[in-house]
Amino acid sequence: MKLSSVLSARFEKPDSHLLEGYRADGGYETFLSVLSEKRDPDELTALVKASGLRGRGGAGFSTGMKWSFVPKDTGKPVYLCVNGDESEPGTYKDRQILEFDPHALLEGVGIACYAIGSHKAYVYLRCEFQLGCERIQAAIDEAYAAGLFGKNIEGSGFDLDVHLTMGAGAYICGEETSLLNSIEGVRPYPRNKPPFPAVEGLFGCPTIVNNVETITNIPHIVKRGAEWHAGLGNSDDPGTRLWCVSGHVATRGVWEIETGYKLQDLIDGPCGGIRDGKKLKAVIPGGSSSKVLLPEEVAQVTMDTPGIRAFGSSLGSAAIIVLDEDTDMVDALVNLMKFYAHESCGQCTPCREGTPWIVKILVRINEGRGRLEDLELLDDLAVNIEGRTVCALADGACWPLTSILKKFRHEFVAKIPSAASTEEVVGA
Amino acid sequence: MIKLTIDGQEVEVAPGTTILEAARDELGIDIPHYCYHRDIGSDGNCRICLVEVNGNSGKLAISCQMPCGNDMKVETANDVVVKARKGVMEFLLANHPLDCTICDQAGECPLQEYSYEYGSAESRFVEHKRNKPKHTEFSDKVMFDAERCILCTRCVRFFEEVRDDRPLGVEGMGGESMISLGPNGPLTDPYQMNIIDICPVGALTSRDFRFKQRVWFMDFVDTVCPGCSRGCNISAGSYQGKLLRFTPRRNAEVNKSWMCDDGRLSYSDYNLTDRVRGARIDGQAAFLDSVGERLDALVGDGSGVAVLASTKSSCEDLFALRHWAESRGVTNFWHGAASWEADGFLKQADATPNTAGAQQLGYEPVPGDGPALRGLIVSGDVEVPPALLADLDFLVMQAVQESALTTEAAVIVLPARTAVEKKGTWVNSAGLAQAIAPAVDPGDGVPEDWALWRELSKKVEDWPSVRYVTAEMNAWLADRSTQTPLVAADS
Repeated sequence: MKLSSVLSARFEKPDSHLLEGYRADGGYETFLSVLSEKRDPDELTALVKASGLRGRGGAGFSTGMKWSFVPKDTGKPVYLCVNGDESEPGTYKDRQILEFDPHALLEGVGIACYAIGSHKAYVYLRCEFQLGCERIQAAIDEAYAAGLFGKNIEGSGFDLDVHLTMGAGAYICGEETSLLNSIEGVRPYPRNKPPFPAVEGLFGCPTIVNNVETITNIPHIVKRGAEWHAGLGNSDDPGTRLWCVSGHVATRGVWEIETGYKLQDLIDGPCGGIRDGKKLKAVIPGGSSSKVLLPEEVAQVTMDTPGIRAFGSSLGSAAIIVLDEDTDMVDALVNLMKFYAHESCGQCTPCREGTPWIVKILVRINEGRGRLEDLELLDDLAVNIEGRTVCALADGACWPLTSILKKFRHEFVAKIPSAASTEEVVGA
Repeated sequence: MIKLTIDGQEVEVAPGTTILEAARDELGIDIPHYCYHRDIGSDGNCRICLVEVNGNSGKLAISCQMPCGNDMKVETANDVVVKARKGVMEFLLANHPLDCTICDQAGECPLQEYSYEYGSAESRFVEHKRNKPKHTEFSDKVMFDAERCILCTRCVRFFEEVRDDRPLGVEGMGGESMISLGPNGPLTDPYQMNIIDICPVGALTSRDFRFKQRVWFMDFVDTVCPGCSRGCNISAGSYQGKLLRFTPRRNAEVNKSWMCDDGRLSYSDYNLTDRVRGARIDGQAAFLDSVGERLDALVGDGSGVAVLASTKSSCEDLFALRHWAESRGVTNFWHGAASWEADGFLKQADATPNTAGAQQLGYEPVPGDGPALRGLIVSGDVEVPPALLADLDFLVMQAVQESALTTEAAVIVLPARTAVEKKGTWVNSAGLAQAIAPAVDPGDGVPEDWALWRELSKKVEDWPSVRYVTAEMNAWLADRSTQTPLVAADS
């Protein structure tokens, strides 16, 4: 496993967020060449498709494929929305780009808009990213001042307006259709699909929603070619990704690595192993919504979509949460599920009523007032939530629950007093 | 057309039809639903209408929004769907107070109904229930109980879709979400009480009706609102002969699912005391035979006599009255009027339900400079213009309630039924004839108005029931050739 330096190449340069340095490093050349050469937008979309780039937000859908869903000639404007509402617990990769290479994102915005025929882009950031918001706004201002955005960019005839929009603290706004509602200024409930945003999105117009990291990949792919990207890492899920590691490792942080590496190598290598010489207990490999992996699975798994799927989990947002042997898994799950109950938007009955119920049961178990039948109940509640709601975030709330419950059942059982009656445990 | 299979049965529907509509309209399959409502559409939040499409049991589709597709295979009641439905019911009831015993919605509550069908007798929820405000005054008409609310947002969407307004919204997140008033404070919309009807649970209750009576003890009659010439279809609810409420009944052409609050609350105008019962001549109780003789003597050849009838009377009442008076030479047929302010939606300026019917039957507005009158025959619930009363030789009052006119001025007093005690036909301002039915019985000594004129006309054998009057009236209208016959009243 070796570290890469594509997206992260400029992170540690002084004043990496300013336009001057970005342009000195060849920044915006790709965007401007796309404009001056009047590249065929469909050819760009095909190029991105051929590169094998998958969305970096969590679902891992082919980016080029998504772009190709934008209907032609509807007479309506097309919008690009950049999803920077990075809120999945454990995830802080987009933040690096926003803070340390904002212009790289904006160049990607320019190229993506050109490819999908959009003249207006919204960069949607969570408001807690104060520095990121400041730097993106400053970068947008710089780009306008330099004639990189606005009307008739460099005489190409291409117009592009880019706006920064900030969320107000809700996890749900990272769901793409909630994000659209949030930009529109209405309550950010996820929308029922169909219609999908590519057909009917922001303000009822065709809209592409891409993650920050996804868009930041675009200039590199356009500059170096689809084959270059397709050749990086795992062929089914190529490219480099920013992996953010948190939890009980000696060194936590973000590393850029090509897909297809061994998770164990990352933990043992750059992360310096488990802190204080402890043993590994579990890894949540792709943000808190992914299914947990046991040490023996961690030892074998390769970090790419097919590799991790083989172990029943997902790469999600590439946020790796490492838990050591001292971790109380019941306690950890209570913590996670409180997040999902708190962040449930409240639109759909199963998630609105189910997630707080799950928390109440888990808290009881954690406090020594559980019943054995609670474990079956928890599993069954997950069955009644998963796939029964508008958006996938309810599914994401169930996966850590069911996987931790399955793989660490003994820890739950150990906290349940034997032969206690319902009345005793719930204090009826 | 789109062909698909629902529960093994092939159906063909127009493009854009949802699965829920196709199942309901083509196959009579009632897929349970809360957030969906025919006249405000669906939000897709309640999740009880989930169905399985093309065997995808992992992600069920909401039938209220999913459009039918060619060759789709839909299952509305297989094991996966029924389990999901049970799951949703369980979630809805987890924090619901289950206070049906003191809830006004009990007995007409979809939450109860689906709970019987899909719910479980025992709850797996053993935690403490979530507490929310129990009685928030949304206005002087509407009370809100947040604990009973299932957040279907029908109330929010009623204002958005039907009234183009946003006085209500959802505040908070997740399980703490709650319907709440917006910054402009209490509801003021004159149609706000419709949200009580469409609320599928007991979260929104009528401050006028709440705690008055259990619905299963009440009698309900399908009829038409007497409040104005729109003719909104209603269900009139009463208990032991006393009206307790009007609620709208869906009629896609007239009022959809709605009615105005003024019309709704007008039920209380019909719980009258001091009724006129039986006939009187010169203040003395009299048999109809003597009334008939005296009337004939007073009317004479009919000259200088006018009939002033209420436009709350049924067409049959008006026809029978006209039939009697015309045969006695009376030529002046006038109708009364009452008005309130129209609101551009349902409520019409004409505050009576049958002006159009009266006019079809040849009644005209009271003329400004009418002929000098010798006698006036007033029939039904109508304001008598004072000018008509000057210089009269005689006044006949067929009235619902005693007044100075019945006790002092009238020679002959006859009983009349109120607008909610009649059977017959009203014609609304759009020319639509609608059957009305008696919601309450006025008790002894108040026959149907038409039946009283039938006796006086000696037509008992011709008109054994109101539909014979309707039939003769339609024939009469057809003879006048300028009129189209009214739709026959429901027998």
